[in-house]
Amino acid sequence: MDRLSQTLSALADPTRRAILSRLSRGETTVKDLAAPFRISLPAISRHLKVLEHAGLITRGQDAQWRPCRLEAAPLKGVADWVERYRAFWEGGFDRLDDYLTELQSKGDSDGRH
Amino acid sequence: MAGTDAARAYYALEMTRSFDAPPALVFKAWSSKEHLLRWWGPKDFTATSERLEFREGGSYRHTIHGPDGTSYGMSGVYREIVEPERIVFTFAWDDEPETLVTVTIRPEGNGTRLTFRQEPFADAASRDSHESGWGECLDRLVAEIVRQGEQA
Repeated sequence: MDRLSQTLSALADPTRRAILSRLSRGETTVKDLAAPFRISLPAISRHLKVLEHAGLITRGQDAQWRPCRLEAAPLKGVADWVERYRAFWEGGFDRLDDYLTELQSKGDSDGRH
Repeated sequence: MAGTDAARAYYALEMTRSFDAPPALVFKAWSSKEHLLRWWGPKDFTATSERLEFREGGSYRHTIHGPDGTSYGMSGVYREIVEPERIVFTFAWDDEPETLVTVTIRPEGNGTRLTFRQEPFADAASRDSHESGWGECLDRLVAEIVRQGEQA
């Protein structure tokens, strides 16, 4: 799986997005991360593993605390990927504009078909 | 989702265009190969279609051909079609993740205003959920992170 797909797959889960959202406010321990959720610590740990594997978080080396930290680069990658579509659509809409003009000049403006 | 509109542009592509043509005609331009292929793709590209089943649940598969001879395939499924005002479909380039496109067509004066939105996650359950601890939208999350990156 490429990097983008891996990022999107990790982001597809709302709990994982909530975890990232919390981390966007600063480095946090697993225990503090788990507090607002109604799910178990092991379940949170599984989500953290997915996020870590996708490069969306890194974890401190301190064996006891292992604070989690958000890594923004993959998220920026998602935003950049979506943005790449812009040229495709803008070019198409320019051509659509011309085509609509052409259709109407033929008198075909009543929405038939 | 309230309060996130300003942030959306960070990960969802949003555009609006005005056309000097009635909504019914703008809608029609999306609805068949005959019309769609006349404008589908950037300037100087041509388009061909293997399939365009313009109905909810119907699929499409098109290829655009660039002036340098390069071709790019794309496909998807129509999720919602409300004539003449709304078309929702999935869209993926070959070998790329799926996206969701929502096209809204509304009268504006004597013409039409088209609103376009494209976002990752064609699955509504993946896009937003209010079940989790903070119920955050991805929009807001990415906006916040990009903002932090700009400040750093």
